[in-house]
Amino acid sequence: MTIAAAPRPRDLLTGTVRFCRLLRARGLAITPSESHDAVRALEVVDLGDRAEVHRALRTVLATRPEEFPVFDATFDAFWGGLVAAAAPPSEGQAPPDAPQVNAHFPKATDAALEFSGWTDVAEGEGEPVGLPGVSDLESTMGKDFSSFGAADLAEVERLAAQIARRLATRRSRRLKPSRRRGRVDLRRTVRLSLTRGDLIDLARRTRKILKTKLVIFCDVSGSMDLYSRLLLQFLYAMQNHLGRMETFVFSTRLHRVTDELRHASYRGALARLGDVRDWSGGTKIGESLRAFNLGWPKLLDRDTVVIVLSDGWDTGEPAVLAEALRTMRRRAGKLIWLNPLLGSPDYQPLTQGMQAALPHVDAFLPAHNLDSFRALARYLKP
Amino acid sequence: MREEIRHIQALMEGAAYITDPAISTAVHLATTLRKPLLVEGHAGVGKTEIAKVLARVRATNLIRLQCYEGLDASTALYEWNYPKQILRIRLEEQDGRPVSAKEADIFSEAFLLKRPLLQAITQTERAPVLLIDEIDRADVEFESFLLEVLSDFQVTVPEIGTITAAHRPDVVLTSNRSRDLSDALRRRCLYLWIDYPSFEKEVRILRTKVPGLNERLAGQIARVMHNLRRRQLQKVPGVAESLDWGAALVGLHADHLDAELVRETLGCILKEVDDVKRIEADLAAGRLSELLEG
Repeated sequence: MTIAAAPRPRDLLTGTVRFCRLLRARGLAITPSESHDAVRALEVVDLGDRAEVHRALRTVLATRPEEFPVFDATFDAFWGGLVAAAAPPSEGQAPPDAPQVNAHFPKATDAALEFSGWTDVAEGEGEPVGLPGVSDLESTMGKDFSSFGAADLAEVERLAAQIARRLATRRSRRLKPSRRRGRVDLRRTVRLSLTRGDLIDLARRTRKILKTKLVIFCDVSGSMDLYSRLLLQFLYAMQNHLGRMETFVFSTRLHRVTDELRHASYRGALARLGDVRDWSGGTKIGESLRAFNLGWPKLLDRDTVVIVLSDGWDTGEPAVLAEALRTMRRRAGKLIWLNPLLGSPDYQPLTQGMQAALPHVDAFLPAHNLDSFRALARYLKP
Repeated sequence: MREEIRHIQALMEGAAYITDPAISTAVHLATTLRKPLLVEGHAGVGKTEIAKVLARVRATNLIRLQCYEGLDASTALYEWNYPKQILRIRLEEQDGRPVSAKEADIFSEAFLLKRPLLQAITQTERAPVLLIDEIDRADVEFESFLLEVLSDFQVTVPEIGTITAAHRPDVVLTSNRSRDLSDALRRRCLYLWIDYPSFEKEVRILRTKVPGLNERLAGQIARVMHNLRRRQLQKVPGVAESLDWGAALVGLHADHLDAELVRETLGCILKEVDDVKRIEADLAAGRLSELLEG
C-alpha cells in the first residue's frame, strides 16, 4: 500500500501535530512528548509505505487495544484514507452467534415503596422458627432475589458479615515495620547494630493489613424494585459491619445514605431512609454519578472499590454516564458493576446505559442471588 | 518498508522468532527512539520472547525482572549484603575506629547486592536488554517506582549516591492485562499489542519450532487452534500450547489428526476441566471436522 504522494517533510511536523490534536479531540490522551515521538518515529520509517506509517504511529500514540478502532478511523480520515475498509476486524471479538435478546425484566411498579412492609421479619420475636438446613441453604444461595421471602433475610445478613470480615482482615503482601512479630528485617537490624556493636535488637517487619474502602451506589428506581429491597438489606448489613464504606442510593437524584443505614436496627434504618425522597421513580444513572464526582471527590482513591448496583436502565444521556464512569475509574482502585438481570441466562447488556458503561468497568457481575454476592468477595480488592 | 525494519525482521527470523511487520516496526522504533516497549497480549503469544530475541539479535545480555505482587525496591533494585556486613562489624569490633568510618566501609559498593534494575543501569560493556516481565502482577506502588527509574535511568542509593546509567538499556515490559496499568506508564512507553497469530503465521511458527512436523499436520494443528480460540473457552490456548501439542504429536509419530488422537492429547492444549469435557463431547459426537474447518 503506497500513498500516492508521500507527505513532504516540511508538512510532516504540522501534519503530525494536527493529527495528534485530532486524536486528542477524539478522546486519546496524547501527551506533547508523544507527539514529539510521533514526529521522530516518522523520520525513521518508510514514508512511502502507508501501512508502515500507520503501524509506527499507532505504536507511538495508542496505549491500549481499545484505542485502536478510534486510532485507525482517525488515521484513515486524516491521511486521506482509501484503505479504510482494509483493516481486518480483529478475530475473536464478536461472538459468532450472539443469542437473541430476550431479557426478563422485572415488572416495574410506579407506586412509591412502603418501607414498613419491608421488615417482614419482626424484631424482638426471638429466633426464626425454622432454621435453614443444609439443603435449604443451598437452595437459598441459588434463589433469585426477586423471589426472596422474609425468611431469607437472615442469610443475607450472615453473608454480608462474612464478606465484611474478609475485607477488613485481608493482608497485603507488602511489609511494614513491626515491633514484635513477623520476619526479621535485616536492613533495619544492621542499622541498629551499628551503634550497639552487636545484633541485640532484631528489627522485624510484618505484612500490612490492606484497608479496602467501599463506595456503593444502589439503584432504587422502579425497574429495580424487586431487587432493591434485598440489596438494601445487604447494604445495611455491610454498612454495619464495615467502617470504611459509603453508601449512596439514586433514581433521578443521588442521596448519600451512609448515616441513615448506620442504625441499630434494620427497621430503624428503613424508617430514616423513608425521609429520602424519590424512590422508585425514573433513572438518571449518569447524572447521579456525575453529582457524586462533583460533590464527593475525596471519597475515591486507589484503595477504594466502587460498586454500582443497577440494571442499567438509564433515561439520561449515555455519554454523561460514560464520562462519569471514566472519571470514577481513573480515581478509584476498581469499578464493579453489579446487574441483577445478568443472572438471567438470556440477558444481554444491550441497554444504552449498559453499553455506555461496559468499557469503563473492571468487572460486570450478576447480583440476583446470594451466590453472586459470595462470588463478589473475590473481586473486592483494589 | 524501511530497510532497517526489514533487517530486524530478518534478524528475528534468523533467531527462530516468526515475526510480522507490526512487531518488527515496534522493535525498530523502540531501539531508535530509545523508549521502553510495552507489549500486551494473551498468554502464550510470545511477548517475553521478544525481549529474548532482541538480546540475541543485539548480541547483548538480557536482564530479567519477574514481577509479582508485593515486589519492592529491595528485590528489584538493590539490597545490602547483610551477612557480609555483620561479619565485618564483628571482625572490627575491637579496633576502636569511629563508627562513621566503619559505616562508610560497610555501606560501600563492595557490600551492595545489585538486583535486576541496578544491574541493568550499571552494565559497563554495552546497553543490555531489560525485560520487566508481567508488570501487571506488581502493585501500583511498584509501578510508580518503576516510572521514576524508567524516566531518567538513574538510581539513588542514600549511602553511596546517585548512579546513572552508562548505557541506557533497551527496556521491554510485558503485561497480561490482569490489571489496568496506569496511563502515566502507558504514555511513557511505545505500545505493541500481539494478537493470536493468523493461520499462516501459526503454521510457520509450528514448522520452525517443532522439528519433524510435516506441513499437513502443522496446518491441521493451526486450524484446530484457530477454531478453538473462537469458542468461548475458559482458558483459551495460546501459541505455547500449539507448540506443546505439535511436539507431542511428533513424539507419537502422527502425520494427521483423528478424533482418537485429539482426545488422547487434549491435555496439551486445554487446561480447564470444563473445556476438556466440552471438546471431548464434541469429539465423541463425531464433530472433529468442525474443528478442522476453515
